[in-house]
Amino acid sequence: MSDDEGDFGGGGGGDEVYDEDEMDEDNPDMFEQNEEDEQDQQGDIDGGADMEPDAPDLGGPPAPGEVPKDKRTTTPYLTKYERARLLGTRALQISMNAPVMVDLEGETDPLDIAQKELQAKKIPLLVRRYLPDGSWEDWSVEELIIE
Amino acid sequence: MPKLPVPDTSQKKVAALEFGAVSHTSLARLSVLEASNAYLYDTSRPGKRLPQKHGVLDKRLGVSDKIDKCETCGEGVQECVGHFGAIRLALPVFHIGYFKMVVQVLQNICKSCSHILLPARDLRTYLKRVRNPNLDAVQRAGVIKAINAACRKCGTCPWCGEANGTVKKVGALKVIHEKYKSARKAAQPAIEAFRATFATAAQAAPDLRSHIPKAQDDLNPKRALDLFRAIPDEHVECMGMDPIAGRPELFIWTAVPVPPVAIRPSVGQEASSNEDDVTVLLSDVVIVNTRVREIMRDGKDAKILMEHWDFLQLQCAMLVNSDLPGVTNMPPMLTRIKRGFVQRLKGKQGRFRGNLSGKRVDFSGRTVISPDPNLRIDQVAVPDRVAKILTYPEPVTAHNKEVLRAAVRNGPDVHPGAVYVKIAATGEKKFLKFGREFVAKALAEGDVVERHMRDGDVVLFNRQPSLHKLSIMSHFAKIRPWRTFRLNECVCTPYNADFDGDEMNLHLPQTEEARAEAMTLMGVKHNLVTPRNGEPLIAATQDFISSAYLLTRRDVFFDRAWISQWLCGMGDGFMHIELPPPTIIKPRALWTGRQLFSVLIRPNKASPVVINLETKTRNYDRGTKVPEMDCNDGYLIVRNSEIMCGVIDKSVVGGESKNGIFYTIMRDYGVDQAAACMNRLAKMCARFLGNRGFSIGIDDVQPGLVLSRRKDEVVAKGYSDTDELIRKSERGELENLPGCNETQTLENKISGVLSKIRDDVGGICLSELHRHNAPIIMSLCGSKGSKINVSQMVACVGQQIISGQRIPNGFVDRSLPHFPKNSRTPAARGFVRNSFYSGLTPSEFLFHAVSGREGLVDTAVKTAETGYMQRRLMKALEDLVSHYDNSVRNSVGGIIQFTYGDDLLDPANMEGDKQPVNLNRLLLHCQAVVDTKGKGAMMPWEIRKTFVDAFESDKFTQECGAHFLEEVRTFVDDKIVTKLAGIRKRFGANDGLMEGEVEAIADPVVRAAVDNSLKFTPEQCTLFLDTCLRKYSRAKMEPGTAVGAVGAQSIGEPGTQMTLKTFHFAGVASMNVTLGVPRIKEIINASKAINTPIISAELLNNKDEKVARIVKGRVEKTTLEDVAEFIEVVIKEHDTYLTIKLDTDAIEKLQLEVDTHGIANAITKAPKLKLSHVHVHATAVNRIDVELPNPSEMSSSKTSLTPAGILNRLHTLKRALPKVIIKGIPTVNRAVINEEKDKTFKLLVEGYGLRHVMNTEGVRGANVTSNHIMEVLSVLGIEAARKTIVKEVIDVMSSHGMTIDPRHVMLLADLMTFKGEVLGITRFGIAKMKDSVLMLASFEKTTDHLFEASFYGKKDRINGVSECIIMGVPMLIGTGLFKLKQK
Repeated sequence: MSDDEGDFGGGGGGDEVYDEDEMDEDNPDMFEQNEEDEQDQQGDIDGGADMEPDAPDLGGPPAPGEVPKDKRTTTPYLTKYERARLLGTRALQISMNAPVMVDLEGETDPLDIAQKELQAKKIPLLVRRYLPDGSWEDWSVEELIIE
Repeated sequence: MPKLPVPDTSQKKVAALEFGAVSHTSLARLSVLEASNAYLYDTSRPGKRLPQKHGVLDKRLGVSDKIDKCETCGEGVQECVGHFGAIRLALPVFHIGYFKMVVQVLQNICKSCSHILLPARDLRTYLKRVRNPNLDAVQRAGVIKAINAACRKCGTCPWCGEANGTVKKVGALKVIHEKYKSARKAAQPAIEAFRATFATAAQAAPDLRSHIPKAQDDLNPKRALDLFRAIPDEHVECMGMDPIAGRPELFIWTAVPVPPVAIRPSVGQEASSNEDDVTVLLSDVVIVNTRVREIMRDGKDAKILMEHWDFLQLQCAMLVNSDLPGVTNMPPMLTRIKRGFVQRLKGKQGRFRGNLSGKRVDFSGRTVISPDPNLRIDQVAVPDRVAKILTYPEPVTAHNKEVLRAAVRNGPDVHPGAVYVKIAATGEKKFLKFGREFVAKALAEGDVVERHMRDGDVVLFNRQPSLHKLSIMSHFAKIRPWRTFRLNECVCTPYNADFDGDEMNLHLPQTEEARAEAMTLMGVKHNLVTPRNGEPLIAATQDFISSAYLLTRRDVFFDRAWISQWLCGMGDGFMHIELPPPTIIKPRALWTGRQLFSVLIRPNKASPVVINLETKTRNYDRGTKVPEMDCNDGYLIVRNSEIMCGVIDKSVVGGESKNGIFYTIMRDYGVDQAAACMNRLAKMCARFLGNRGFSIGIDDVQPGLVLSRRKDEVVAKGYSDTDELIRKSERGELENLPGCNETQTLENKISGVLSKIRDDVGGICLSELHRHNAPIIMSLCGSKGSKINVSQMVACVGQQIISGQRIPNGFVDRSLPHFPKNSRTPAARGFVRNSFYSGLTPSEFLFHAVSGREGLVDTAVKTAETGYMQRRLMKALEDLVSHYDNSVRNSVGGIIQFTYGDDLLDPANMEGDKQPVNLNRLLLHCQAVVDTKGKGAMMPWEIRKTFVDAFESDKFTQECGAHFLEEVRTFVDDKIVTKLAGIRKRFGANDGLMEGEVEAIADPVVRAAVDNSLKFTPEQCTLFLDTCLRKYSRAKMEPGTAVGAVGAQSIGEPGTQMTLKTFHFAGVASMNVTLGVPRIKEIINASKAINTPIISAELLNNKDEKVARIVKGRVEKTTLEDVAEFIEVVIKEHDTYLTIKLDTDAIEKLQLEVDTHGIANAITKAPKLKLSHVHVHATAVNRIDVELPNPSEMSSSKTSLTPAGILNRLHTLKRALPKVIIKGIPTVNRAVINEEKDKTFKLLVEGYGLRHVMNTEGVRGANVTSNHIMEVLSVLGIEAARKTIVKEVIDVMSSHGMTIDPRHVMLLADLMTFKGEVLGITRFGIAKMKDSVLMLASFEKTTDHLFEASFYGKKDRINGVSECIIMGVPMLIGTGLFKLKQK
């Protein structure tokens, strides 16, 4: 799990068992729950290990980690695949009663809400782009150019 | 209450799949019973059929009906997973699946000491190679193959010294060791000793004696098992197997597992039951096994035992694979072939392709489709009865609670209703048929309502055959009454749908994620263009085009009422429309039809859509000097979204053209605007045409008097021309076309004349028929039908063709008995001079039917061929994906391309000619949009400098390719800078090309004149540059794209449209080149022998035909008969020989560089004749004598010395001599000199021998190419082969008028060559490209791959697309390439 989970504890969870006021950053259970939920949605969370197939260990240098922010090389544009996945994941969260990050104007469809959030760059998610050698770049939605 | 442990409920992911065999011990542990009872049911108690205890249907193995409970776990058929049993075999048997591998192991080991047949030193080196963890599957297989080869060579065991022979498979399931079949002296004593052991037996049965020499060592399963058990671990490892989990003895059956009943359910009827084939096969095994055990217990005759053992062997084999060649017919009692396990897995309907790679789905529907132009292009009308069955599980949130509550109240039978509610608090699922009011009231957040499909839901819409990604797209549902799915006709093209009864499928995605992905990636709006070449596929069709054409002709005017009517028809009632000022004000305000289209493009001033476009339409008269004044009104100019001139037809609103209105809107203002515009067009055109009416009647196809007369003239002229040609040919006056004989020449010429008739008549039709004639309107605007179709109906059906020829003879020397023999007249060879209107004569009718049938046969054959080709292409390319570092890699990380297509551009975003920006249009746009009034014009040098500076800035150099920048620079230089300079000069000003030159136009008149001609301002410059940059950077291939799949579809899909058997003239007559599907097949199969290998060679001196002739002589194969006048037998008193007289004239004419000695030399070198210099003498300038070689050298038989024998030999020689090649390359069939357009000559060589042609004197060796990929590979290397593949595929496609972006072909070529050798897209090539067992198993030879995988203990890491689909794992492509993290 990323180390800045405290910023927004409940966003990814969207579990109806917990009430709003229980979504506290110092609640360790909460944290666990989030992680699990996210795993449900996104598969394995500990990045490098499950990318192994993409970058078989050929006895080269040890498993590379995150590329520092200033060394990132991938496109600054949000790809359509990232867009689709962001919208889908966010819509799922919203459909499971996650707090919405923008003001609504009568939208009820989670997908519409997610689209509005994306336009406002308010989706609280990071895109972790894996390079073929197993290293990755993290891009937050604000950083990416959306057209 | 104690705190319960929290179960780890996160999903498990299958990381890898390991293949292996189950050992005897684990089988024993696994099984719940030993099957020993041959009977299936206990029939002792009448009325009740109970499974026999210890039978193969024992209830402890699970149950297959709904009533019974499993006796092992106590669960019913739904819950019980089933349990294994086992049959312990009395004697071991070979497993048919592993038989080949087991024989191989037997070959590799010593049949005495079980050690591998390699010396210790070799063993170590090989072991090291096998243990290398970095080997991929193909390399590993190579090492193992090398080891096998090394073992086969070893005749004596290096460990125990025992002799070892070859191990052979005899019959279906027997192995013998040919230990006693050696010619070596050292082995003889052992052989003698072995044969001596038969002495007693031979005494008892004397007729045995003759068979003794044939006796060999029998390796029965039991011996093999014992041998295998004794193989040391290291030696097992050396043979590529796992010494712990996969020892060879596991692959000989000592016990047969009995699979759970659940996978072989019995179908019970009243009194009897129908058993699954596997059950029957298993019980057969039990029967034979029991019998074998009895025989062994009773100690019966060995012969009977062996027979039964063989039978047991066979039964076990049948269980695995019931379709064994050579075996199936053996037992006469087997009436029907049973389905063994292999049959269950194999083939299209088998487990792999039928149930794992493609599965049946829920939440889908299928019905007939019909058109509805009032729907948006991204909508589909779904019948309410479908909508009530397909449901979507929607969780209740604060936002949608009331809507869902209303749906719950409506229940399952009223449309916006719901079928089930899953209540979160209790976990129960409530059916809403009854008592829904209570459920509705209690509906709480977190509950999940399975509601009906409703308006706006994202659905997937599909039509088979799904040949490309556009065959499945997502639409928004619109619930409507009645029974058909309805769609806008504009969307027919990508589906290839029509409404003659086509059915389509519809799927409703079930999660938010699926909806989002479907909408953003598969949405109709996002797929307006095909990724094949970036041309729009979704565009106006048929009636829309006719209607648009009729509306925009020059004489169409509407008064205020009608124009308002049509304008309102295009919108949905909410659209704000600004009525443009009328074109004619007095005497009556009138609007033109074109104004409708201007409004359609831009309904009001608030709309951002300002397009500029200039294009030639279909009827543009190419001779026009001033395009906008074209007599056919064939030049369309759109300036700031207003139509200036030109009629609208297919090239403007139709698909497959990049000059259309919709395409321009899409590129400049996005897909939403383009789609909206298309919706408006569809609505308005449908309404207009519905009101106007458009129909065809008999009067439309009645030719007028003039037309009839002119047609008759043309036909009569054609007939007389043909007669003239025939006469000429008979008199021998017809000059042969290069490379053709007399008949071919005549045929070619006649075909030319006759096919011209139809074209000419078509032209006459076009000019003579009335302009309100419906077929003419349709063919002019391109909505349906061509010139030919019109002329066939009205005037003349024309020549009927079968496989490129006129109708062939069906009777002796004639096509039909109605004609004289050997007649070559048009009528006798299938020319139909009547029209469909005037009616065909009986013979014409037959000819027409003949060629009509050919078309039908062709389509039928074609679909199967291209379907298979498409499947292979997809399987080979499916896992290629473009990564975040812009490289294209396969699923195991192997690099196919470092940058996709060398420039990272997406073919779908190519606007111009393989470039992402259409510069001409951009310039037009810049000039039209920017208001230059009062702005200072730039000097030519300023413009040039601005662009050059911009292109040197980081912004451009980092984003754009150098090639593109260069292209833009040249364009600007050409179209702006130089042109402006020229204009300035013309008006007497300085040209302003020198840097730093100052403006020197003082005269305001000249100033205005120059500015009016061409003015370019800094503002326009910026717009131009910015647009270039923006379009280029947005045209890049996005990381995650399945470039392989898209490429495969782009190549495979057009294949279905190609006519199958096509030959084509490559510049020269008679040089036939295979084209179409067969040629594509040859290329992607990497065939060794191709139909028409052609080498094209440039000449050092390409201006002179004489030189070309000389080089041709050097290349082309010339035989002795070509230059010999005669070859005669000379018999003198003491001398007999052959004499050859050379035709020196012919040699001269052919420009052959040979003399008599050279020919004599060539004769001595000819193979098989065995002549030497002693026998061949050049006696004169044009004479060669050939003596018979000394008979003793030639043959030992005495007969050859007799006079008759000598004569015989002389004649044999005489027959052989003419075929002796005296000059040229033997593998070349012929060479043709080809005159290019620029009057240069070039040699086209039919045949093989690229290297020889390259090295021929007079040929420019560096410029020789062949169309034979494998030959290019062997002569010029892998890069040349790659290039040849690209060139050949593009050539074939373009010869059929199909454009494919070269990037797709490059990817294919790169995939075929990235391993360093050319791999075909066949089962062999694909097996070398991919490692994954599951992928290969799902392609072809399913079980072979599976057995091999388990024998060698292979591991499948589930990386690729096929594997992920089979295992149900998300794949690392598209949205799976990255991960999302909560911030």
